[in-house]
Amino acid sequence: MVLVLAIGDLHIPHRAPDLPPKFKSMLVPGKIQHIICTGNLCIKTPLINFLLFSPQEVHDYLKSLCPSLHITRGEYDEDARYPETKTLTIGQFKLGLCHGHQVVPWGDLDSLAMLQRQLDVDILVSGHTHQFKAYKHEGGVVINPGSATGAYSSITYDVNPSFVLMDIDGLRVVVYVYELIDGEVKVDKIDFKKTATTATH
Amino acid sequence: MVKKSVPDWLNSSLWSTAPPPTPPNDDDDDGRRIGKSSSSDSTAAPSNSSSSKSANTTATVVPVRPEPPPAVEIRDPLSSSNNNVENGSGTVEIRDPTGDDVSVQAQLLQELSRKIVNIGELRKLASQGIPDGAGIRCTVWKLLLGYLPTDRGLWSSELIKKRSQYKHFKEELLMNPKDWKSKCFFARQSEITRRLDKSTCIEKDESLPETGVVLPRSEITHGEHPLSLGKSSVWNQFFQDTEIIEQIVRDVKRTHPGMHFFSGESQSATSNREALKNILIVFAKLNPGIRYVQGMNEILAPLFYVFRNDPIEENAACAEADTFFCFVELLSGFRDHFCQQLDNSVVGIRATITRLSRLLKEHDEELWRHLEVTTKVNPQFYAFRWITLLLTQEFNFADSLLIWDTLLSDLEGPQETLLRICCAMLILIRRRLLAGDFTSNLKLLQHYPSTNISHLLYVANKLRTQPAR
Repeated sequence: MVLVLAIGDLHIPHRAPDLPPKFKSMLVPGKIQHIICTGNLCIKTPLINFLLFSPQEVHDYLKSLCPSLHITRGEYDEDARYPETKTLTIGQFKLGLCHGHQVVPWGDLDSLAMLQRQLDVDILVSGHTHQFKAYKHEGGVVINPGSATGAYSSITYDVNPSFVLMDIDGLRVVVYVYELIDGEVKVDKIDFKKTATTATH
Repeated sequence: MVKKSVPDWLNSSLWSTAPPPTPPNDDDDDGRRIGKSSSSDSTAAPSNSSSSKSANTTATVVPVRPEPPPAVEIRDPLSSSNNNVENGSGTVEIRDPTGDDVSVQAQLLQELSRKIVNIGELRKLASQGIPDGAGIRCTVWKLLLGYLPTDRGLWSSELIKKRSQYKHFKEELLMNPKDWKSKCFFARQSEITRRLDKSTCIEKDESLPETGVVLPRSEITHGEHPLSLGKSSVWNQFFQDTEIIEQIVRDVKRTHPGMHFFSGESQSATSNREALKNILIVFAKLNPGIRYVQGMNEILAPLFYVFRNDPIEENAACAEADTFFCFVELLSGFRDHFCQQLDNSVVGIRATITRLSRLLKEHDEELWRHLEVTTKVNPQFYAFRWITLLLTQEFNFADSLLIWDTLLSDLEGPQETLLRICCAMLILIRRRLLAGDFTSNLKLLQHYPSTNISHLLYVANKLRTQPAR
C-alpha cells in the first residue's frame, strides 16, 4: 500500500501565489511515501524584492511532506538540475515522469503513448496542459495531474486546481483525483489493474 | 502420592542452613524438592493445577507438582544465579529465609490451597510482602486484582473464558494494516468497487488494448480518500493508529533496558516485548478515550514479568492474556492520571498530588513547610512520576514488586496506599531534605536513594493509624 502523490505545474510565484489552503490542509507529512512532480514548480528570479518565496521554498515544502521527491524539468524551471524525464519503480508498477512540454502536440494521447513506450513504463505522468486527464492505453495509464495551484496555462485560463494521489497495492492502483471546484474539494477515484501479461511491455 | 504425616513444606530445604547445590530433579510425585532455597517451597501448586488433588480443604499442603518448573534462571529476580542485571542499584540481595518469611510463605500457600480463598485473609498476608517463592506472587496478584475468582473451582473455566476473549480481541484489532485496511475499507467500499469492476468489465479492460480510453471516474463516498481528515474516515483512523503503534513500539523498546527479560535480541526478550506491544495496542484500540500514554508500558512491565515467570507452564504461556486483564483492572483506578484533559480536575493528577501534599502536611508539618514553602520544591516535580508510574521508576525492580504487593493488597485501595507510601518516602529522608535547598532536594527526590523497603512499608503503614483522616 504505497501512496504516491502526483503534482505539478504550480508556477509559484508567477502565476499563483501558493497552493490552495484546502489542499495544503490535506497534504500533511507522514502519509505519503513518494512525490512525483511534473515540473514548473518555482522560479528563481534575480529580482529578489519580487520574490514571494525564496528559491528553494516550494521544493523544500514538498520535501517536508515526503523525503522521496522526484521532479522533472518544466520549461519555466530554472533549476537545471532537474532531468527531462525520470522513471521509477514502485511496487509492481513502473512509473514514468515528464513535464510534457517536450511532447508535441501538447496533451496528445498518441504522442504521449510514444513517450510511454520509449520509457517502457506502465504509468506515465505528465503535465503542462494544466488539465487533469487519465487515459488507458495499451495496458498502461497516462495521467495528467493538472495544476495544483490552478495556474493558467498557455492553452486556457479556466483551470481548476487539481492533483492526483495514487495508491499502489500489488497489481492494482487506485487513483484518487483531488479537484478544487467552486471552493470545494472534490475527490474521485479511478481503479486500474495491471494485467500480468503486460509485464513484458 | 505418599501420604505424609508432616506437611511437606515443613520438610523443605528452606529450613536447612545451606541451600542444596543440586538443581531441581525431574518431578516425582512425592513433592519433596531439592532445589534452590527460594524455589523449594513450591510443594503446593498454588493455582489452577488441573489435578483434582488440589481441592484439598484440609490444612495439609498438597504436594502435587504437575510438571517440573520451567527454566529456573528467569524466575526469580532475587536469585543470585539469575542472570538478570538489576537496573541501577548495585547488589541484588538474596532474601535469607528467615523464620518470619517462611511462615508468611507457608500461610500464603495454605490460604491459596483452600477451596474458597478468603480474600481478606489473603490481603492481610500479602501486605506483609509476598515471598519470591515461585508461583505465589502471580496467583496472589491475580486474585487481588479480581482476575481469578475466590472459588478455586471456577478458576479453570474463568481462565479459559478470559483467554479466549483476549485472543478474540487480538484477532480483531491487531490485523496487519494492509489486511485491516482491505477488510474495513473494502467492506465499506465493496459495493462501489463491485459496481466499478462491473463497469470496467463493460469498458473491456482486455479487449481494447490499442485505443486510448478515458478511464471512468467514480465518486468517493464519505470522504474515503487517503488524505481525508474526517474523523470517520477509515484512512484517517489507519494513520492515527499507525502513529500510536509507532509510539508504543518505541516505548516498549525502552522498557527496563537493564533487564534481560525485556531487552536484548534474545528470542525470549523479543517475544516479551512483542507481548507488551500487543497488550498495549489492544488496550489503546479498546479505549479510544485514553488510547496509549507514555508510562503505561512501565505499569505493564512488572505485571507481565510476574505472570510470565509463573512456574506453571500453562499460565506462563498465557501470560499475555492474563496480564492484559490485570492491567486493565489495575489501571482502572489510575486512568484519570493519564488523561490530559483531566489534569486540573478533581480526579486528575494535580488533585492527587495536592492530596499527597496535604497528607504530608498532616503528618509532618515541618517537612512540608520546608519543602513547599521555604525551598519551593513543587511536588509536581517529583511526585508526578511517583504517582503515575506507581513507583516503578524509583526503586529497583525487585523492590518495586514488593511495593506493589502492598499496593495491591491493602484494604484502603491502591490510590490511598500509594499516597501513604509516597508520604513515607518523604518522611524517611526528612533529615536530608530539611538540610537541603531547592537544588539538592530536587535532586534527591528525583533520584530517590535506595532504602530498606520493609522499613518504608512499615512507616507507610504507621501513617494509616494516625488520626485526623
